[in-house]
Amino acid sequence: MIQSIVLSGVAIGSIYALIGITYNVMFSASRVFSFTAGTLGMIGGVLGSLFIARMGMPVAAGLLLALVGGAVLGIVTEIVAVRPVLRSLDQHLYVLSTLALALMVQQFVAIEWGTDARPFPRLLPTARTDFDQQFWLPMLACIVVIVGLELLYRYTLVGRAFLAIAEDNFAARALGLPERGLRIASFALAGAIGTLAGFAGGELLLAFFGNAPMLTFYGFIPVALGGMGNNRGAVVAGLLLGLFQQTANFLIGGIFASVAVFTVFILVLLMRPEGLAGVTAQRRV
Amino acid sequence: MDTQAAQLRSSRAGASGLGATGGVLPFLALLAVGAALPLFVGGYWGLIATRACIYWVLVSGLNLVVGFAGQIAIGWVALLALGAYTASVLTAGTAVPELSPYLALVIAAAVGAVFGLIVGLPALRLRTFYFAITTLGFATIVNQVALAWQSVTGGGVGVAGPIFPDPFSSKWGFYYFCFGLAAICTWMTANIAASRFGRALTAIRDAEVAAEACGIAKPALLTAVFLFSGAVAGIAGALFASLQSYITPDAFPLDLSILFFIAVLIGGRGSILGPLLGTILLTALPEFAAPLVAWSTFLYAVLLLVIVLAIPGGIAEILDFKNRRPLESHRAIVPQPDLLPGLIGTPTDGGALTLEQVALSFGGVQAIDGLDLEIRPGQVHGLIGPNGSGKTTTLNVISGYYLQQRGAVRLNGTVLRALARNRRAHMRIARTFQTPRIVGSASVLQNVMIGGTIDGKGTFVESLLSLPRHHRDEVMLHDTATLALAAVGLERLGGVRADRLQHSELRFIEIARALMLRPAYLLLDEPAAGLSAEEIKRLGALLVAIAQAGTGVLVVEHHPDLIFDICHHVTVLNLGKKLAAGTPTEIRSHPEVVNAYLGG
Amino acid sequence: MSLTRRQALASAGVAVVASSLAKPAIAANEPIRVGYLPALTGPSSSTGIGITRGTELAVAEINAAGGIDGRPLELITRDTQSDPTKAVNAAAELVNQQQVKVVLGPLNSGESLAAVPMLARSKTLQVHPCWVDSLTDPAKYPMCFRNAPTNQQIGGAANGYVVDVLKHKKVAVISDTTGYGTASVNAYVPMLKTKGAEVVYQGNVDAANPDLKPELLRMQSAGAEAIMPWSVNAGFLSRIINTRGDMGWDVPIVGQTTLGSGQTKDLLEKPEYWAKVYPNNFRPVCYAPGGKLPERTAAFLDRLKSAKIDLSDTLLWWIALGYDSPRMIAEAMKAVGPEPDKIVGYLNKLKGFPGVYGDISFTPEQHNGYPDGEVVMVEANSLKDGAFNLAPGYST
Repeated sequence: MIQSIVLSGVAIGSIYALIGITYNVMFSASRVFSFTAGTLGMIGGVLGSLFIARMGMPVAAGLLLALVGGAVLGIVTEIVAVRPVLRSLDQHLYVLSTLALALMVQQFVAIEWGTDARPFPRLLPTARTDFDQQFWLPMLACIVVIVGLELLYRYTLVGRAFLAIAEDNFAARALGLPERGLRIASFALAGAIGTLAGFAGGELLLAFFGNAPMLTFYGFIPVALGGMGNNRGAVVAGLLLGLFQQTANFLIGGIFASVAVFTVFILVLLMRPEGLAGVTAQRRV
Repeated sequence: MDTQAAQLRSSRAGASGLGATGGVLPFLALLAVGAALPLFVGGYWGLIATRACIYWVLVSGLNLVVGFAGQIAIGWVALLALGAYTASVLTAGTAVPELSPYLALVIAAAVGAVFGLIVGLPALRLRTFYFAITTLGFATIVNQVALAWQSVTGGGVGVAGPIFPDPFSSKWGFYYFCFGLAAICTWMTANIAASRFGRALTAIRDAEVAAEACGIAKPALLTAVFLFSGAVAGIAGALFASLQSYITPDAFPLDLSILFFIAVLIGGRGSILGPLLGTILLTALPEFAAPLVAWSTFLYAVLLLVIVLAIPGGIAEILDFKNRRPLESHRAIVPQPDLLPGLIGTPTDGGALTLEQVALSFGGVQAIDGLDLEIRPGQVHGLIGPNGSGKTTTLNVISGYYLQQRGAVRLNGTVLRALARNRRAHMRIARTFQTPRIVGSASVLQNVMIGGTIDGKGTFVESLLSLPRHHRDEVMLHDTATLALAAVGLERLGGVRADRLQHSELRFIEIARALMLRPAYLLLDEPAAGLSAEEIKRLGALLVAIAQAGTGVLVVEHHPDLIFDICHHVTVLNLGKKLAAGTPTEIRSHPEVVNAYLGG
Repeated sequence: MSLTRRQALASAGVAVVASSLAKPAIAANEPIRVGYLPALTGPSSSTGIGITRGTELAVAEINAAGGIDGRPLELITRDTQSDPTKAVNAAAELVNQQQVKVVLGPLNSGESLAAVPMLARSKTLQVHPCWVDSLTDPAKYPMCFRNAPTNQQIGGAANGYVVDVLKHKKVAVISDTTGYGTASVNAYVPMLKTKGAEVVYQGNVDAANPDLKPELLRMQSAGAEAIMPWSVNAGFLSRIINTRGDMGWDVPIVGQTTLGSGQTKDLLEKPEYWAKVYPNNFRPVCYAPGGKLPERTAAFLDRLKSAKIDLSDTLLWWIALGYDSPRMIAEAMKAVGPEPDKIVGYLNKLKGFPGVYGDISFTPEQHNGYPDGEVVMVEANSLKDGAFNLAPGYST
C-alpha cells in the first residue's frame, strides 16, 4: 500500500514538477507567470490521444507532433498574451491576458473535444506491472527535462543567453542579445515541456479538459514553494506535493485532501513568501 | 488665507462620490431604468435583472479590491458561497433554530466580512500571481467543505435558500429588494472611490512606493476594503441563495468567479460605472446569444483579452469623453512661489534631520560608507556625485526603504526606526522619485490630493456613508491640492488624466503632492532630470521658496548649476563616502571636486 | 406561497394581453408549446444528449400523427449547460418569456433542485427524471411529477443485489467528491447497514486522482466482497474497474448506471475488465435471459433504427425515458386538454401509463411514478444497442 502511494505520489509529483518548470522557463524569459502552464499539460494529453488513439499515428510521431503543437501554443502565448503587456509589467496585465488565453484554449477543448475524459493510448507495448510505465514515464520525462535543461544552460550558447536574460533583462539587451528571439524560443521550449508533462502523464490523467485548471493550480505550488525560476526547487517541491497529496488522499479522503493541500500551501507561502528555497529579492526604489 | 489663494477655491464639482466618478447622469439613468423595469419587461428579464443586481452587490465590493487596490482576487465566488450557505443554513432551521431571513442576511454579511479578510490578507505578503492562486485555493476549500459538512450544508443535496417575507417574496418585490441593495452598494463604493481612501487604493495599485511615502498604511486600508468587500459578497450570497431557491456546491462554479473578475476589468480599473455596466453586460449577454450559450465562457475570455490588449481602461475609458479633448500644446509651467507660505504654514521650529555614520552595503558593494549629513529647516541641501556614489541610496535610507547596517538617522534627535516607511509622512518628511510615480488613470488634482491622505480625519465607514467629516476632509483636501497645484504652476491641468501629461509636468505634480504634507523636510530625487533650461530655473526658484517657507530641502541632482544656484549647503559623494561638504562657493573651488566632476 | 397583489395584478395583465392576442389563433392549429431543459453541454451532457434523442423523436411522432386534436407540440429547448444558475435562468425564460405551461426537465438533480421550487411558484406543470428524493413533494410542489426512480429505488436495487442476490455482507462504498457522489454515499451506507451488510470501506475520492490503487488495496485488506461506486464520472469509474483488473482482484462492482456507458468502456485497459461489473438499469429496456427485449421495447428499438438514431454512444434507457415524457404529456392533453391544472388532475390518477422505460402511475399523494421492481442490475459487458442483459440472479 505504501509502495503504491509512493509510486503514484512520485509520478504525479513529476507531472506537477514539469508544469512548475514550464512556469519557470516562461518566467525566466519574461518575468511573467502564465496561466497557460496547466493548459499546456492538458493539451499534451489531448493531442497525444488525438494523434495516436484517434488518428492512429505511431507513438513517436504522435509525441513529436504533440510537442510541436505545445511549442506553437507557447509561441502564441508569447505573441498574443505576453509581448503586448511586457511594457507595463508593473500593472500585472499579464495575469489577465494569460488567464484569458488559458480560458479560451480550455473552453475550446471542452466544446470540440468534449467534457468527458477520453482514453489516452498505452505508449509502450509492455505488460502491466506494479512499476508500470504510467508511473515511470512521467518520472523519466522529468529527469530528461531537468538533465536536458542543465546541459542546455551549461554547455550551449543559447542556453547561456537564456541565463543572461533571466539574470538581467536590460543588461542582456544592452549586451546585444536578441532578447525577443530568446523569449520566443523560451516560450516554445516551455510549451514543449508542458506538453511533454501532459503526454508522459497521459495514461494517468487521461485526455481531459478539466486537467488544465487542476495542473495550473497544482503546478504552481512547486514554483511558489521551490522559489520562482528555480527548477531544482520545483522538482523537489513537486515531488513533495505529489507525495503529500497522495498520502492525504489515502489518510483523510478526497475532500479533505484538497483542503489540506491548499491550506498547507497557503500557510507555507504566508510564512515563506519567497518559497522554501528562495531568497528575498532586494527592493528597488 | 490670502486673497489669491481664496480665488483659487474653485467650486467643487459634484460633492458626492457618484459625481466625482464620471458624472452622476449615467447613474440616475440606470436608477430610473431599474426602478421602472417592471413596466417594460416580463418575469424572465426581471429574473436576469435581479441576478445582475445581486452580482453587482458582490462586484461592487470586488471592484474596490481588484479595480482600485489592484489585487488579483480571482476566487471571490468562495465568499458568495459562504454568504449563501450562511443565510440558507440559518433560515432552514436544520442546524440551528430558524432565524429571520433579515437577521440571516446580516450574519451572512458578518461572516463574509471575516472571511473576506482571511481570503484577502495574504495580499499583504504575496505578489500578484501568488495571491491570485491562493484565492483560487480558498474557492476550492469552501466548495469542498460545503460538500463534506453534510449535517449543516446538506452536502451534495444542498439546502433551500432563504425566502424573504412580504413585500419581498414576490418576483418583483425581491427584485426591488436586490435593486435597492445594489443601488446602496453603488452609492457607497462611489463614495469610497471619491474619498481619500479610494485615491489611496489606486496609489497602492499604481504607485505603491509613492503611496508609502505619502503615509498610506496599506495593511489598514486593505483590511477595511477586504472587510467591506467580504460583507457585500456575503450579502450577495444570501440574495443569490434566495434567488436560486436551492443551493448545492455545483451552484458556485469557478466560471462564476471568473465572470465577477472579468466584469471589473472590462469595466475598467478605478471606475464605478464601468464595472457596473460590465456586470450588467456579462449577466445579460449570454441570454441574448442563446445559440452561442455553450461558448459564453470562451467569449468572456476573448472579451477579456481584447480589453487587456486594446483598451486597458475598459468601458470606463471608452466613456471618458472629457479626456479625449486635445490638450493645449505649448504649456508653460509657471510656479507661484508666493502661495507657498499659505500652503506650508508656519514651520515647527525643530532641530534637524541628521545622518550619523550611516553605512549600507549590498552584497559586496559598499553603497554608503559612514556618511554624516545634516539637513536644517529652511535650507536647501544639495547632494551630488557620480552615478553609483550612493545619492539615491541615501534618500532611501532616510525614507526607510533601506535599513542601514551601521549608524543612525535622527529627526530632532530621535532615532528614526527603519522600514516604517509610511510613518515618515507623519513626521512630515516628504519625497519625490527619480522616475515620477503617479496614478496615470487619475486626474492631476486627484494625484496631488493623494499627498494629503494622512490629514483626513474621517474614517473609512464615514466615507462609505458620506458623513459630514468625509465632506469636510474632501473640501479641505480639494482646496489644499488646488493651492498646491497653483503653487507649482499646474492649476490649469487639474482635471486632466495624469498619464496625458509631459514628463516635466509629472515632476512638478510630484512636488505638489509632496507639498500636501506641509513637509518639514522635502527629499527630491533628481527633480531637474528631463526639464528644459527654463523649467530648471523655475524649479530652482520654487525650491528656494519652499525652503524659505521653513522646509528643509534635500536635493539629489546632476545639474551643478541648479545646485550651486539654490543650495545653502552641498555634500559631494563618491563611492558612498563624503568627498567634500560646504557652501556652494567652497565646493566650487574644492580641488578634488573640480578635478573629478566640474571639469575645472 | 400566497399570491401577492402585485403578482395578481401582473398576471391579470398578462392574461388580458395573452388572451386578446392568442384567442383567434387557438381556433387554428396553434402549436402547444412545451418547454424542455436538457443539459446539452458541460459535464452532464451525455445523459442530456441521449434523452434528447428520445424526446425529439417522440415529439416528431406525435406531430406526424396529427398532434393533439390537430395542434402540434412545439418543443422549446434551452440548454442548461450543466449549471444550476443557467437552469434557473432558462426555466424563467420558458415560463415568463415563452409562456409555456408545461416543462420537461431539468434532467439532472443539481439543476432540478433549483428549478423545481421556481417552476412550482409559477404554477407550471413539470415532469422530470431526477433521482434526488426531495425533488417531488405533492404538498410543496403539487404540479411536479417524476417519471423515473428515486435515489432510494436506485440504491435499494443495487444494495439488494449485493446483499440478497450475491449474498455479500462486506461492502465497500466509494464515490467521487461531487455533490451527487457524496450524497449517494451518505444515503446508501445507512441503507446497507439496515439490510444487515457491513460497510467495511466508505470513501470520497477526488475524481482527478489518477491512482486509486491505495483505495482498492484498503478495501481489499478490509475484506470487501463487493465494490459499490457512485459517480457519473466515466474516468473515475474506469479507474476503479481498471485497478481491480490490474490487481487481479475478483470482486463484483455494483453501482451507478454510468459503469455501463460507452465512455466508461472506452477507458478500460482491457475489455475483459468489464466482466463482473453490474450497473443499475431498468428491466423494461434489458435483454431477458433469452437475449430478447420486451415486445414494446423491441418495437421501439426498430423505430429508433429506422429513424437512424445513433445508439453507439448512448444508453437505451436514456432514449426511452426521453421518449416517454412527451408521450405521457400528449396522452394527458388528448384526454383533458392543454390546461396544466387539468393535466395535473389527470396525472394524479394516472395508472400504468405504458412507457418504454417503465409503466408510470401517480396518485395525488405519490408523484414518484416509477415502479419499484423495475430497477435492476445488469451485466455491463453485455452492452448492445444501448441495452444490457440482466445481471445473473434475476428471474424473468
